[in-house]
Amino acid sequence: MKIEDLIGELSKDPFNPELNFACAVEYEKSHQTASAVSFYLRCAEYSTNKSILVYNSLLKLARCFEEQNDRVNTVSNCILQAVAVLPDRQEAYFMMSQFHERQGNWQECYTWAEMGALVTHDYEPLPADVGFAGWFVFDFEQAVSAWWIGRREESLRLLTELSEQELPKEYADAVKHNLERINAVI
Amino acid sequence: MNLVERAVSNGGELAPLVIPNGLTNGTGLMNPSIFIDDDGDILVNLRHVNYTLYHAENEQRFPSRWGPLSYLHPEKDVRLATENYVCRLDKDLKMTDYAKVEMLNLHQPIWEFHGLEDARLVQWEGKYFLVGVRRDTTTNGEGRMEYSWVGLDKDKWAVKETKRIRIPAPEPNESYCEKNWVPVLDLPYHFVKWTMPTELVYADPNSSSSKQVALKHTTQPLSDQRGSSHVIKWGSLYLSITHEVDLFKNYLEQKDAVYRHRLCVWDEQFNFVGLSNAFSFLDAQVEFCVGAAVLDGDLLISWGFQDNAAFILRTPKAVVEDLIMEALSYEN
Repeated sequence: MKIEDLIGELSKDPFNPELNFACAVEYEKSHQTASAVSFYLRCAEYSTNKSILVYNSLLKLARCFEEQNDRVNTVSNCILQAVAVLPDRQEAYFMMSQFHERQGNWQECYTWAEMGALVTHDYEPLPADVGFAGWFVFDFEQAVSAWWIGRREESLRLLTELSEQELPKEYADAVKHNLERINAVI
Repeated sequence: MNLVERAVSNGGELAPLVIPNGLTNGTGLMNPSIFIDDDGDILVNLRHVNYTLYHAENEQRFPSRWGPLSYLHPEKDVRLATENYVCRLDKDLKMTDYAKVEMLNLHQPIWEFHGLEDARLVQWEGKYFLVGVRRDTTTNGEGRMEYSWVGLDKDKWAVKETKRIRIPAPEPNESYCEKNWVPVLDLPYHFVKWTMPTELVYADPNSSSSKQVALKHTTQPLSDQRGSSHVIKWGSLYLSITHEVDLFKNYLEQKDAVYRHRLCVWDEQFNFVGLSNAFSFLDAQVEFCVGAAVLDGDLLISWGFQDNAAFILRTPKAVVEDLIMEALSYEN
């Protein structure tokens, strides 16, 4: 449904979480992340407690602010709120680990990946993708961060194991690149 | 019932305003000001800001780190900066052209609110103006209305500021911040400076001067009525959408706000006739109307949603007449 139609529907039912979520997704598709923020946040606030849409909305808020750059406190706050909503889902742990990787906070990156890998449930994918490409992402984050916290052998082992798996291209390229860099210095 | 539902269920239309990706970094497109010019073109000044408004509503379970209402500018750049885009819409309210207004580089901003804010677009005597508030010329953020004369090249669709006039308040000109003076479309260079009581001022577009031309007694409203849309002629009446704001703090002393709008009605001599009931557009707590224009008997209302999105609402004549009837029965 186009944004015009969705907003028209929303006018009749303005607090409907699903409609707010759908509007947010449409705005995000066109990279109007501020508009998406408004509707994701309304979805979260007007949903019943602990729902999957709340969790997904909070993670999407983090992605929107990430895209705008230089809002790191807000990005991390949104992810923390998502963890508190559904602590037994995996995506928020991954996003927090990835967030710290991008900040160069290597111990935090490693620890959040460790926590994420401990999640035992394997839930259905979220209604809207937040970049969780599979369980291997925790190994990837630990492989990258381990190098910087003095765990060279662990880093090398994890990267080698990852290099033997079928990974999405973005990750396969990153693993290859990291292995080349490590092999160049050891 | 919110005004969007009321309008759309009576044959109206809601149009979102979006500038294509790549120009705005995704931050707020807000507070559009609609205007139909002498050529019959439907124009909009669309405000782009460098922040995203974060407003947690309802039970506010998910506030930002700074509270339920926060202006999320870049964390290493405390400016709240505004730039403006002038756009053209077709009759279906689809955007066909847009261009950032190239502003004159007249001074270094010296306060954290940068740029011309909530500018209303008008054309008087053939000349286009953006009339808004600027607060970046003093170190304490003093606000004054400014005329930005703009040249609009419709062939290339380019917009340039050509001249800027800062408008003092009428004497004694001692107020801290003047904003939301709303242009009276059929009275060139006249503005409703304040709604209740109704204060009409004239501001010279060529020199920095203004004077009060009328001050009309009204009853005291329950809540201050501040300027929002242009003042338009509707039959023998003048109409303008006003806004009222409830600013408050939660138990943690964090700021919060609720904005609502009304339709204000005057007679031809600007004697106050009445106010409609308060309404919201889409039931958000922060919404802001900056423009209105008449198209084929309907009222086009331009408004911003939480500083983050912009819309035009085509409001059918019958709905406007209902609001006027509400205003006629106004009692305070």
